[in-house]
Amino acid sequence: MRCAWQSYLKLLPQWLCIQVDELGKDTLQELRLRIGQPPALVLSNKTIYLKRDICSEDLRHVINAATQYSPWTAQTIANGYISTHGGHRIGVCGECVMQDGSMTGIRNPTSLCLRVARDFEGIAKGTENIYGNILIIGAPGSGKTTLLRDLIRQRANSKQGSIAVVDERGEIFPYAGDVSYFAISGSIDVLTFCSKPLGIDMLLRTMSPSCIAVDEITLQADCDALYRAGWAGTSLIATAHAASRTELFNRPVYRPIVESRLFDTLLVMQQDKSWKVERM
Amino acid sequence: MQIRLIGAVLIISGCSAFGFILAAAHKREVKTLRQLIGILDYMECELQYRLTPLPELTRQAAMETNGVLRNVFGRLSNELEDQISPNVANCMHSAMERESDIPAVTAQCLCSLGQTLGRFDLQGQLNGLEAVRQMCRRKLDALEQNKQTRLRSYQTLGICAGAALAILLI
Repeated sequence: MRCAWQSYLKLLPQWLCIQVDELGKDTLQELRLRIGQPPALVLSNKTIYLKRDICSEDLRHVINAATQYSPWTAQTIANGYISTHGGHRIGVCGECVMQDGSMTGIRNPTSLCLRVARDFEGIAKGTENIYGNILIIGAPGSGKTTLLRDLIRQRANSKQGSIAVVDERGEIFPYAGDVSYFAISGSIDVLTFCSKPLGIDMLLRTMSPSCIAVDEITLQADCDALYRAGWAGTSLIATAHAASRTELFNRPVYRPIVESRLFDTLLVMQQDKSWKVERM
Repeated sequence: MQIRLIGAVLIISGCSAFGFILAAAHKREVKTLRQLIGILDYMECELQYRLTPLPELTRQAAMETNGVLRNVFGRLSNELEDQISPNVANCMHSAMERESDIPAVTAQCLCSLGQTLGRFDLQGQLNGLEAVRQMCRRKLDALEQNKQTRLRSYQTLGICAGAALAILLI
């Protein structure tokens, strides 16, 4: 298991950093910080509440650490999250700043959710014989991205051509300068912090991939881009929020890709972070 | 007689030196303000085209200049990296505290810069930099008005004051 744990700790105020390091080094899934309430450490098997309450200074510290005092480096905050070094993601709640009907930022944050990115090599074992387009589905926090990462690695190592990844949130293969935080090998090309519709079109035109992988298709535009890339001599791997096949079929946003049978195989994440194969 | 002569020479040269020091301080103030405007130009370009994060941006700005501003921006970068304070204004204040040699007008502009950095989105930040640059330009214009006359006045006044003191005392 790999994790940019030090990068995660660097986000936290000193007093919190020590306790989180002691209690959650191997099992922390997310840390929830809410103003006026004690921090909640969501571990893999239980939730621990610390004693001291969170204040606005603590939240500001985390946001400053994540953005390096540079709000312009975190334009994703308009979507309610900040991607940080090590692939960790911070969800933000507070007063939204609206301009012309769309959100441009969040001021006075009141709660943060700091998710830990961990990499488990080998969890995609057993998918070697699955061909065609693959859609990974699961509830939030069920391990879709972790499985996607290993699936990409496995495909890249199987010498079936190059895999191009649109890593919109910088979570699949986060880099620190020239080095990836997580294991990366084989022919993988990563386009980071690019929107999926733009990225998919770009990669298709310029990188001649044998496979394109994207994480979390949530918008109609993402589905449309995948649809455009389908049947173009390139296979697709994607993840989507849906706990089951039924939920997937019921969500209107996924209707075009479901009805068109763009994906051949579903990998459904289970509660214990394992997965099972279903035909689409 | 000889002692009086030496005393007169010492007084006159002391006062003249004071006048020359005032003139040099004035020149230094102008030079530092010009450097600061240069740094602001550099920061604007970096931000506009590369969206450089603040610790990196201030480190690069330090490398682009020299003297007192190099130290201030270098320290600011360290303060930001170590997250000493929750806002940039405090980090700037702390970086300036350890540099006693900052000309007064430049110090005012640096404080204003500290208050605008890291608080806004890109466009807001660029506007903030522009506001500080305008402030620097106004101060620079004021300093440069009749610069030559003023510098000569400081030097002449020093010599004359020295001569007057020498006549009065000796």
